[in-house]
Amino acid sequence: MDTASFQFVLYGLAAALVSNFSRSRIWRSIVLLLASVAFLGLLDHNPLAFLPLAGFLLLGFACIQLLERGWSRSMVWSIVAVILAYVWLKKYTFLPQGIFLHSPYFGLGLSYIFFRVLHLVIETGDGDRKQRIGFGSYLLYTFNFTTLVSGPIQRYEEFAQDQFAQEPIALGPRVVGLQLERIVRGFFKVNVLAMLLNAIQEDALAQLSQPLPFPMKLFSAFRLCVAYPFFLYANFSGYIDIVIALARLMRVRLPENFDRPFSASSFLDFWSRWHITLSTWFKTYVYNPMLLALMRRISSVALEPFLGVLCFFVTFFLVGIWHGRTSEFVVYGLLQGGGISLNKLWQVLLTRSLGRKGYRALAANPFYVALGRGLTFSWFAFSLFWLWANWKQIHTVFASLGAAQWLCVWLAVWLSATVVLAAWEWLRAALLSIKTAEGPVLTSRYARVVYASALGFIAVVMTVLLNQPAPDIVYKAF
Amino acid sequence: MPPRDWLLLPVLSLLTICGLAVSVEAIARRAFPATPATLASCEVRLDRPEGARAIPNSVCWEKLPEGPLTRYAFNRFGDREDVERGPKAPGAYRIVMTGTSLAIGRYVPRESTLAALLPAELERRTGRKIDVYNESMMQGFPVSTGMRFDEILAAQPDLILWIVVPLDLDYTPEELYRQEPPPLPASAGTARSMERAWYLLKTAYAGDTIAEMVRDHFNRTRTALMLRHVLYESQSRYVESFLKGSQDTEFLRTSPSAEWQKKLEEFDSDANEVASRAKAAGVPLVAVLVPNRAQAAMISMGQWPQGYDPYKLREAIRSTIMRHGGIYIDILPGFRGIANPERDYYPVDGHPDAHGHALLAALIAKGLTDGAAPALKAPGEENIALGQRR
Repeated sequence: MDTASFQFVLYGLAAALVSNFSRSRIWRSIVLLLASVAFLGLLDHNPLAFLPLAGFLLLGFACIQLLERGWSRSMVWSIVAVILAYVWLKKYTFLPQGIFLHSPYFGLGLSYIFFRVLHLVIETGDGDRKQRIGFGSYLLYTFNFTTLVSGPIQRYEEFAQDQFAQEPIALGPRVVGLQLERIVRGFFKVNVLAMLLNAIQEDALAQLSQPLPFPMKLFSAFRLCVAYPFFLYANFSGYIDIVIALARLMRVRLPENFDRPFSASSFLDFWSRWHITLSTWFKTYVYNPMLLALMRRISSVALEPFLGVLCFFVTFFLVGIWHGRTSEFVVYGLLQGGGISLNKLWQVLLTRSLGRKGYRALAANPFYVALGRGLTFSWFAFSLFWLWANWKQIHTVFASLGAAQWLCVWLAVWLSATVVLAAWEWLRAALLSIKTAEGPVLTSRYARVVYASALGFIAVVMTVLLNQPAPDIVYKAF
Repeated sequence: MPPRDWLLLPVLSLLTICGLAVSVEAIARRAFPATPATLASCEVRLDRPEGARAIPNSVCWEKLPEGPLTRYAFNRFGDREDVERGPKAPGAYRIVMTGTSLAIGRYVPRESTLAALLPAELERRTGRKIDVYNESMMQGFPVSTGMRFDEILAAQPDLILWIVVPLDLDYTPEELYRQEPPPLPASAGTARSMERAWYLLKTAYAGDTIAEMVRDHFNRTRTALMLRHVLYESQSRYVESFLKGSQDTEFLRTSPSAEWQKKLEEFDSDANEVASRAKAAGVPLVAVLVPNRAQAAMISMGQWPQGYDPYKLREAIRSTIMRHGGIYIDILPGFRGIANPERDYYPVDGHPDAHGHALLAALIAKGLTDGAAPALKAPGEENIALGQRR
């Protein structure tokens, strides 16, 4: 029920249907609240298991109330209290085990609730939000079932604008059709595409520790690197497709979380297309304030671009370590922060040596773009080892081949990604160039009906009839 | 949206689904053809007290969708043998093999079966003339092996090799036949026709929910078989699907159910019967557990989900056989050193293919010549790279 299952989709559709019985914002809010409470009840039947989460939500609300009542000096303490409570409830392994609660409790979606609560605390403290938040609105925003498990991380203003609007946003046949098509697409991605890619990755992982001829081992290592990024994309973006569409059917627009990330020509570009709401959150609340603070202290114009490099490193290091509670994620954070700051540094140095015009010309060169796209993919693919594997698995994987062989694998991933992704971009552009008066044929409602029917049929065959279990949504664990 | 689209779009959707379903089924039928006749047409069902047997001098053909067209020819004793059950050649060491469908070599040409390949493997290792006579039978469950023991002894064995597979314990013959519907009423007159129609409906949908009914129908399509065949080529997917979807996983559980314990007790009783009769005849009995496809994959991967253990059944079989005075040879560790051993089995059906039989022949020959049977002990230690044989 907590994943992109058939039951979850049916539950969401039922909630959307009931929500549309009336256009009244009170009715829609009651339905959303009841659907969210019932959703929690379906995930865990023990009411006591929700106490820590309830405590966390109350802490957040108390902080907001204090700030709304003009206790602006409590902002820093509020932020610290919310962060500490989150770290404690998430049981980060760098803390002593003895301080944690030992009875099992409900922690699903805690990270995403944390982002929403912290966003409210900061915005309230800064005085950016004029309107007060009632407890009901706060609850609706923080544990709305469409964004509870894995986001996307929505800003309160955006949520309130749609959810509490006197006149809800329109929901005509076209919009309904598009959302249904998106649900089918998401369901297919999670339950068919991700399932197949996961099988490729797991087979490759197993083969690395089996007695295979050397070329086969190299091929296994290659598949291991390549399969996981696509798997993660299908798994996470598929789920996001479903929840965005369900929320839209409930007349709430959730922000997009992906924008064809593997089309990114640089690591900086990649992180503006991958898990967009997370990177935007960190850019808003870490990167921007940190850069401003540093610029206030260091007034050198020559150093200014390098401050950006530093801030990018810290921001994306934090993005990386947010993903988990163990030391593997520190390396993952270093690789994300390292990748993005190196990319920024490269941009700065290249702009200095070529000039702005020269750099812009280079960045527009298709060959440079294709190579950059391949490099971005290969860096991300390798950094993901520290996301999906523990130290034991990482050791097994890297011990299965020598350093030179791994370098060959990485080069092969880079070059293959360069060629394949460039071919994909070309094919996509060519297909979308086939147009009628209404626009590209491929995005017409007729084409959408055809491929949604096909994908839906395949997904039903795989999940319902063949009973092939799909992996869980990876990001719900974070 | 133009009004015509309210009709056009659903029709387009329906046509897409129908077109896809029909074309995939057509492709599947072409890629995975099968014969309607099966090995069962050559067989007499288990019929106490004589046990399961084939019709003497019968020949039948069978084409598994995943496998080659296979000819089964049975000699005048109802055994899948090219030769008759006569006296052994002078100086030859005769092994009589017994077991079920795997041992008979189902879906594999006779010359590629374990029984056909084992003599050469053993001769290569021992330098002796070895003769393997296959007394195996479809539905030759442990209880049936006991029933047919006189025929096994009539083949004058120097050693009896009993091939055990997990399914032998999972399905007792009674259970298998209990699942079969009662016979179709004879056709005569309108009343009988109505009775037949009602019978067909009743048996087709008895006890099923609509979802189960749809799933049952779908599972009979060649599309289902083709998709499973492709999916089960993946080691991890197959193991996951088998553990989550199959009913025959009790033998892999670390804490088996009471029902499975009962089946182990039944096997113990049947093994006691077989071992004591072998002992009385002065013939050594050697048993070997051949892993099923999922079990072989799990052993090869070296990891499995919590609550499962691919070696669990081995301990039960070994202790049973040895307690009753038999010899047990262990081929399971051999699968650890082989990459993707599940590729030597038919992905959906689960029986070993010709490669699988060759692999089993090598592993069993190694087990037999490692000292399990003193008469077959290899003169020198031989280290065979099993993975290279494929």
